[in-house]
Amino acid sequence: MPKTVGELLDFSTIFTRYDLKLARQMREADTVGADAVLQSIAQGVVEGDEESVGANTDKALSDHKPTQIIDTLIAGMGEVSKLWDEGVYYLPQVILSSDALMVGLEKAEDAMGGDVKKRGTVVMHCAHGDIHDIGKNIAVALIRANGFKVVDLGSDVPEDDVVKAVKDNNADLVTGTALMTTTMAAFANIAGMLKKEGLNLPFVCGGGAVSEEYVTGFDFGVYGDEAKQGPPMAVDAASGMSWEDMRAKWNLVS
Amino acid sequence: MPKYTSMAYDNWGDMIFGTAKNPVSIGLGPVKLGGKTVYPQIVPHPRPRSAESKDKILREYQRMTEDALERCVALGFPGIVIEFEHIYQMTSQPEWAAAIFRQAKDQMQEYYDKYGLKSALVSTVADLRKPDMVNMRSSQELTWMLETFASTAENGADVLSIETMGGKEVFDWAVQRQDIKGVIFGIGVLSSRDMAWLWPQIVDTAKKNNITAGGDTDCARGNTAMFLAGGYTATDLPHTFAALTRGCSAARSLVAYEQGATGPTKDCAYEDPIIKAITGVPITMEGVASACAHSEMQSNVVSAVVDLWSNEAVEYHDMFGGSTVEVFTEILGYNVAQMNASIAMGQEKVLRDINISSDKYRDVHGFVLSPDNAYEIGQAIVDNNESYYARSRAAVLKVGELITADSKMELSKFERDALDKARREVEALPDSEDDFVNMCLDEYKKVPGFDPSSYGF
Repeated sequence: MPKTVGELLDFSTIFTRYDLKLARQMREADTVGADAVLQSIAQGVVEGDEESVGANTDKALSDHKPTQIIDTLIAGMGEVSKLWDEGVYYLPQVILSSDALMVGLEKAEDAMGGDVKKRGTVVMHCAHGDIHDIGKNIAVALIRANGFKVVDLGSDVPEDDVVKAVKDNNADLVTGTALMTTTMAAFANIAGMLKKEGLNLPFVCGGGAVSEEYVTGFDFGVYGDEAKQGPPMAVDAASGMSWEDMRAKWNLVS
Repeated sequence: MPKYTSMAYDNWGDMIFGTAKNPVSIGLGPVKLGGKTVYPQIVPHPRPRSAESKDKILREYQRMTEDALERCVALGFPGIVIEFEHIYQMTSQPEWAAAIFRQAKDQMQEYYDKYGLKSALVSTVADLRKPDMVNMRSSQELTWMLETFASTAENGADVLSIETMGGKEVFDWAVQRQDIKGVIFGIGVLSSRDMAWLWPQIVDTAKKNNITAGGDTDCARGNTAMFLAGGYTATDLPHTFAALTRGCSAARSLVAYEQGATGPTKDCAYEDPIIKAITGVPITMEGVASACAHSEMQSNVVSAVVDLWSNEAVEYHDMFGGSTVEVFTEILGYNVAQMNASIAMGQEKVLRDINISSDKYRDVHGFVLSPDNAYEIGQAIVDNNESYYARSRAAVLKVGELITADSKMELSKFERDALDKARREVEALPDSEDDFVNMCLDEYKKVPGFDPSSYGF
């Protein structure tokens, strides 16, 4: 019998390396660009290469419409999302791709002389008293990269400011994140204030300490489990889905 | 400035739970940490809405403290450390914190007088400074923090600790992009400089009140990487990247002890086996019993050289077995009873090695925290102690080297590629701290809210 850690060779009864069973192979992204120049932009997004996207966008703007470039950028991001869903890409690759997309998008919008019409508007914040914002920041990047206007209010945001931003921006969706249960109490307050103002929209809440039970305990509340859910939830909200329908779709409790 | 040029231990095999080269006595009894006994630490957390008023929060803490103390005497646990990790409302209102601590200490005194139950109280002040929102060296938030260190020190706290936020803005930017250079800058340089500036003030407050300056953790950075990495099925960050980050965390957390902190260290500093190897201070760790707060892949190996065994944080609720505080006090108490029984029987190294075997090869994070590897990383830090940058870089390189060299630490191709890429990037970094810092100050000026003056640049 092995007497030291170094002598122990068989760990099979101690742990099972499920990650090795899951090991995914890298695959090439599908071709999404309408021509070689546009495909080079899409490829730059897939590779998270800001420089290449910037340079190829400049090149493409000479003989392509900005809207064609924007469609290509979004299609490239679509490929990135697929690779993430398949487990080929991890989150950092997605963030780098979103950075690259924003470089191209900014150039295309400059060329258009204004912002491209966004799919909708999302107001996002971290709860009052809470400064843990990495989850919110990841969701901001993902939602922005999926064509939405994001009003990022930052961290430790008073309830009044959230409600005002929803009103001022005619938001389709508002989100809140909190790491601590003592700060998530603000979400119920915000929901009450939204109701009082006659603002009826889904309020997606998530974060380390936030539970589905808590969030579905107040009107408008829809529980968000992870940042990855942000873009499809934004799509639902922008399409006019009510908070009740979103709750029925995304959460277990109705 | 860097201080440690040699290791506290001759070899890792001399490191064991319950014993530290430089034990510390705290609280009533006293509770002697590192003196051949492991103690439990319960960290209760108040419920939402309990902080709506001072009376409500006092009542919440009164109940939680009572539950912990009573469960100890019901089951015969010799001693307990209670840590209060401040919620926002405590640090931002020093008088609330003072009242909570005074109440808890009075309760502990009662149990000590009646039963002889040893106990101590840790005040972990919240670092309310968010680097992209305030100047780290001058803000209302800093004023509150320093006042609350003082108010809790004057009202019953036995240990002062904190989880500082320096470098968080650059680190968050970097970790989301798997940028190891940014990680080294955020943790190894910025966070270290912030700690070197703040900790003398904490140590001074502790000395004035004749209590202990405990420690700091890389929770905001190293643990963020660890949690993003997650378990086998997560795809938010390569595990190897999180393990490299942890090496950097150790180089950074060491600053507290160079500035006069003595331990017990702060529980969520997973890098503490490395810290103990270098400094010999008693360390607080969290593992199995901290599942109430988060999941992890190294719950047993982290007990290998622990002195104070913690549950991280549990929110106050009812369970079938009592309140959550009662239940987790019981779990912790029995955990340490097992460790102390092994010490009493001379079998502690056997138990240590069993716990190492559980997790050393489960995942790279447990691998680097296994005491044998932790010792090597600590050695790399002290051998490269000419600057915070040099030792951070050395620690990261050593982590990479250790993982690569041990064939029993199996990696997927994805993890291997991520590790190799990061190693190449670190190897290509400049040797000089000045060159590295100048490069990073230029590159990371794009990070929203990054203010070099916060770090004395």
